[in-house]
Amino acid sequence: MTVIIHDLENTELQTIFPQIGKDTVLVSEKGSIKNCIGCFGCWIKTPGTCVLKDGYENMGWILSQAETVIIISKCYYGGYSPFVKNILDRSIPFLLPFFKIEKNETHHKQRYKNTFQLVVHFYGENITSQEMDIAHSLVKANAINLHATSCKVLFYQSFNQIA
Amino acid sequence: MKISIINGSPKLGKSTSELIVEYLTPLISKNNSIEVFNTNTTALNEGQLSGIICSDTIIFAFPLYVDSIPSNLLRLLIGLEKRQFPSQNIMVYCVVNNGFFEGKQNHIAVKQIKSWCAINHLIWGQGIGIGAGEMLPFLKDIPLGHGPNKNIGNAIKQLSFNILTRQGGEDLFISPNWPRFLWKVQSSLFVWYPRAKSNGLKKSRLFEQVQKNYLDNIKQLEQKGKKQ
Ligand SMILES: Cc1cc2nc3c(=O)[nH]c(=O)nc-3n(C[C@H](O)[C@H](O)[C@H](O)COP(=O)(O)O)c2cc1C
Repeated sequence: MTVIIHDLENTELQTIFPQIGKDTVLVSEKGSIKNCIGCFGCWIKTPGTCVLKDGYENMGWILSQAETVIIISKCYYGGYSPFVKNILDRSIPFLLPFFKIEKNETHHKQRYKNTFQLVVHFYGENITSQEMDIAHSLVKANAINLHATSCKVLFYQSFNQIA
Repeated sequence: MKISIINGSPKLGKSTSELIVEYLTPLISKNNSIEVFNTNTTALNEGQLSGIICSDTIIFAFPLYVDSIPSNLLRLLIGLEKRQFPSQNIMVYCVVNNGFFEGKQNHIAVKQIKSWCAINHLIWGQGIGIGAGEMLPFLKDIPLGHGPNKNIGNAIKQLSFNILTRQGGEDLFISPNWPRFLWKVQSSLFVWYPRAKSNGLKKSRLFEQVQKNYLDNIKQLEQKGKKQ
């Protein structure tokens, strides 16, 4: 399964991905998303599922089914746009609360055996080289923490250049 | 000097960021007017946003979420950028705390605030990254600068000096003065297991995988989204 997390209008997305197959899940903005409130309920109350019920509570499970995760986001300060970041913040039920040490750094243990490739498309008119550096470090860190098998970061002036 | 402190933690209750603000405030309050803005319940109103952009100094205290700035604070940063700062003589500092032991893992979030600062033509002051953030409330009765609070105390002291003298400083990334292996064991024993138990969950349930097939449900939601 491919998961596409994006901040585009659905019509915009269709221009770059005209054929979206049945095995693709789109995570799109529906105007209803709530902030993560840092309660850790997704670890210690309803393990694996976020306690906020707004249609985005299943991100942990969705990631557990993914072979590829594609993120399409406007770039802000070298990172994701608020909606995409909100989705990622709501995705920690994918992991376990418990820690492990790898390469002398702490990370979370996996809840699922599943791993995926991570591909991030950042778009924006004036992405600076400083922002690109931040974006590279960020996606690399995300890939490690989400146990992705590989990661790729690409930059575009406009979303419609994403092929 | 007018100092605005923004607590970027979205936690509804007490947060480590709030504790950090409590540590910092008395050290910088002499002859300064300090206002603390919380972002956890409601979005800041127009008056509050105008207040922030008219500050001499802005300090962000926030948690690291997925290796970067949490989405609630990101929205606020974009909101402030849209308003345009009346002066470029504003100093910006930040204290980021994270769950993992190594404060170093906050370096990306610090760079993001630096980037926000550059885009808004403000003056970058200093960034502090504090690891093992969930442990800090357990240590709050130990004076800063002592025992496990030694490194945090030193960092907060340096930061407060730089804020008062309107200077920049090297970014500092620290962890509590405490063995990492002990912290790791304690986090399960004193944090995750007791919290689960208080919710009536056995240990084994924490490892549960979600099995239900939500796929149809998700597809339906997507369809709804498209129709809107
Ligand atoms: C959604 C979410 C994502 C998080 N991501 C990270 C992370 O990437 N790295 C990390 O070290 N800690 C991470 N944490 C842990 C928080 O940074 C940590 O709990 C912090 O102490 C919370 O600070 P606060 O009490 O000021 O909100 C995350 C926590 C949440 C709720």
